Amino acid sequence: MEKSLFRFIWKYSSRQQIYILLVTVLSYPVVYFLLELPKLIVNDAVQGDNFPKSVFGFDFDQIPYLVLLCFTFLGLVVVSNGLKFYLNVYKGRLGERMLRRLRFELFQRVLRFRLPHFRKVSSGEIIPMITSEVEDVGGFIGEAFALPAYQGGMLIVQLGFIFMQDPLLGLAAVASYPVQGYVIPMLQKRVIILSRKRVKNVRLIADKVGESITGVAEIHANDAAAFHSADISDRLYENFKIRYEIFNRKFLIKFLNNFMNQLTPFFFYLIGGYLVIEGNLSIGALLAVIAAYKDLAGPWKLLLSFYQMTADVSVKYQTVVENFDPKDIYDTDRLTSDENVKLTGDVKFDNVSFSGGAAGQEVMDISLKVPSGEACAIVGPDGSGRSEVLQLAAGLVSASTGKVFIGEHDLDKLTDSTLGREIAYVGGAVHVWSGTIRDNLYYGLRHRPLVLPKREGEDLKNYKRRVSEANETRNPVYDLAADWDDLEAAGVSSVTELDEKALELLEAVQLSKDIYRLGLQSRFDPSMNDTFAEKILSVRQNLAERIVNEPALGGLVELWHQDRFNASASLADNLFFAVPSDPEITMDQVPDLEEVKTFLSETGFDQKLQQIGLKIAETMLELFSNVSGDSGLLGSYSFINQDELPEFERIVRVAKSGQQRPGLSDADRSRLTGLAFKLVPARHRLGVMTDELKEEIIGARKRFLEGVVKNSGSFVAFDPDVYLPPLTIEDNLLFGRARVDRRDARRRIDDVIRAIVEETGLRRPIIYAGFGYHVGVSGSRLSAGQRRRIALVRGLLKNAKITILDDIATGMTEDDKALRDGLRNILAGKTFLFGTFNADIAAEFDQRIVLDQGRISDKG
Amino acid sequence: MTLETEVEALRKVPLFHGIDETKLRLLAFISDRTEYPAGERLCSQGEEGDCAFIILSGAADVLVDTPDGQKKVAETSENSIVGEIAILCDVPRTATLVAVNNMDVLTVSKDDFLKLLKEFPDISLEVMRTLALRLERTTRDLAAARQGAAGS
Repeated sequence: MEKSLFRFIWKYSSRQQIYILLVTVLSYPVVYFLLELPKLIVNDAVQGDNFPKSVFGFDFDQIPYLVLLCFTFLGLVVVSNGLKFYLNVYKGRLGERMLRRLRFELFQRVLRFRLPHFRKVSSGEIIPMITSEVEDVGGFIGEAFALPAYQGGMLIVQLGFIFMQDPLLGLAAVASYPVQGYVIPMLQKRVIILSRKRVKNVRLIADKVGESITGVAEIHANDAAAFHSADISDRLYENFKIRYEIFNRKFLIKFLNNFMNQLTPFFFYLIGGYLVIEGNLSIGALLAVIAAYKDLAGPWKLLLSFYQMTADVSVKYQTVVENFDPKDIYDTDRLTSDENVKLTGDVKFDNVSFSGGAAGQEVMDISLKVPSGEACAIVGPDGSGRSEVLQLAAGLVSASTGKVFIGEHDLDKLTDSTLGREIAYVGGAVHVWSGTIRDNLYYGLRHRPLVLPKREGEDLKNYKRRVSEANETRNPVYDLAADWDDLEAAGVSSVTELDEKALELLEAVQLSKDIYRLGLQSRFDPSMNDTFAEKILSVRQNLAERIVNEPALGGLVELWHQDRFNASASLADNLFFAVPSDPEITMDQVPDLEEVKTFLSETGFDQKLQQIGLKIAETMLELFSNVSGDSGLLGSYSFINQDELPEFERIVRVAKSGQQRPGLSDADRSRLTGLAFKLVPARHRLGVMTDELKEEIIGARKRFLEGVVKNSGSFVAFDPDVYLPPLTIEDNLLFGRARVDRRDARRRIDDVIRAIVEETGLRRPIIYAGFGYHVGVSGSRLSAGQRRRIALVRGLLKNAKITILDDIATGMTEDDKALRDGLRNILAGKTFLFGTFNADIAAEFDQRIVLDQGRISDKG
Repeated sequence: MTLETEVEALRKVPLFHGIDETKLRLLAFISDRTEYPAGERLCSQGEEGDCAFIILSGAADVLVDTPDGQKKVAETSENSIVGEIAILCDVPRTATLVAVNNMDVLTVSKDDFLKLLKEFPDISLEVMRTLALRLERTTRDLAAARQGAAGS
């Protein structure tokens, strides 16, 4: 990578830089005329004579001549500012493109690092380098050549003018330049060193903050907050010291510059004055020189600040780039090549040695052979070199001496496009990506965009622009919106088959039950799959019939019924007989919805609900005011938690006092309404629900349906014949609520639902719905075991010729034993390396290679 | 039925005799109000007990497993508490309860009841007093039984 910023800029933008220079030069005459014209207008048009004047063969009288000059002036103003605008946009665009190129190059280099290199770098340091640290480079690139050229040119012109007036005065004008040219870089050098120090210190802070976030549970578990606080505080002090010193130096430089610049007029007055008195210089010339010097100060100042900025940005560039140039970095080709060599044949190690850089991470002089199509266990405790051998076999790390072959092919000479497709490797520390379960399962099939989406019109134009910009900055043109799933590699011919195969593997690794449960809890968009929604509706009917016909079931559920109050559901559900279309809207937010507000005030329910809310709040205060907060009673039973208690105490006090002022605010009223909304009459037996009120609520449903649900899309009405997207699949299946006043009603009705789902063949689509479950950041919403199993299925789905598992399914339980049997079945006829620490597990395999301290101790 | 009626019922339970009304209301509020149709089991002998039942209305048979099959040993009455042994000490249910007719029951979970005891020591005292009284009576009965046995 280019070590110096200027080399980088010149290499990738020389044409554009020259173009910027040309346009800048082109703007010289415009600027010059713009400065000349006012003089011409005053001297020639206003005060001049000899009219009419002839311009381009036309004769002009004084007034038309004035008008002509003024309009020319206006025209030049437009042209010169237009040029400036154009140039600024051009420079900005160039800067952004170069920045994009730089950032992408840096990211690609991260991908090209060899695995052991990541032991030395941390993401906390790399991330700010790619994001914030190079930011200034973008702004600088557009100016890199144009500014010194333009301002330098100005400076030379002005200097030439002064020298022509009087060489001695010229010398006086530049007298301070050598001093400045010597002193300022000296001072700047120190600033550069400090800047580097600062950048490194900030990186360290970023790294420490990142580490604290990852290890936050450890911090609390060990009461180490004080230690970390002290650590960060120390670093921040370091940062302060460095910055303070930088400020000192920077302002010293500024002070020196200003001083020197004002020293020169001193020489002018002294030497020039002397020359005028002696009669060697006319007073007019002296005044002209002083005026020229004033013009000189501008460019000179700009050049100096440009110099400082160059130093600053260069050092930032270098401190970033030097981290991305390890000696052993992979070729770009390893990432970008699409060559897919078929890896058939035995896995063979020829006197392979490798060292991960620490004790227990090395293998020494290993030779082994696993015949093609056979299963072999690699046995050894952690630190025996087992993981290293498996990573070597997967081509993830390279041997320092010796060679690893599969068939005829030396793994070190192959690219990712072969290794990542022909070999499936699942290591002990799996990573699950943020995204859905489906994204994660099919991750191993997404090597290149395969089927490009059809684009037309505006969409096509945007796409073309995206591609041309990518080409402009040497970014890849892979289309993210394309279909990436390589069905052929997975050995299937359609997406449905792929889903089926994934399900089959999920069953094999015993994960399908978990995903079924996730599927029941998930929401799905019925417009995506009509038949599935219809099936759910038919199960709903089936269930409803059984509930009506079987008294034992009927006592467990209260179904939604247009004309009946559902005592097991909240007051809000009962009143609206609908749910917000956006499932993210919580019960506390509902009273603030505009539609709800109008509806409540129109029907007079606002007062009633507030009264109910008030009654609830009062009761809660009465019941729980003597209960201590840490008993846990408050949290689990009250509508109000400990923190809100004082707030509601105030609201109740104000409401009871009956004061008009200050009275209850709108927010207070909303809170009371929200409290009332959460009331589930069968559970909270507060005696606020009278039969009369129930009638009114049922009556109001129709108005809500007519007035709100039909007119706005923000609510979806309960309707036995319609799938309700905001509810989970489970709630859609059971069109009602399990009774809260019957013991275990929820569990018993769940069993019934499960049975019906199995009967009707809905289990499969529900699992597919579970594929859409979002796993959270790095799979945080899954358990560690689920993450491993998902990674395992991901590896198996690749249908690779060689499968390598390390420390996966190595439990002694019956489940894990069955899983291993299943794996051997699935992978029958393929090369299968299975890493484990346990000799008993290894005994299940026909072939075994035992490792001890980096050497093979036994084969069998 | 509302909290008020439940409190009325609780007041009639000997165990809660001397406890003031707001605490009974709290107890009622944190308990689950459940219905049991005739024939349904409230609990089974031998299973782990995680709650006590306060019977508001209806009645249940108390059945005990014997070598000859289940045998009815008693019947619960309204406004009584059953299963409280299980929530005070960790023993399995000593009998099976089956609803005779439609029952209305307040279920107090073990955790909540213990929290309540911790929170309000006077309830603990009252519970202790009631248990002590029962123990005293049992001891007396035992003594009488022994005397009777010795005398015969």
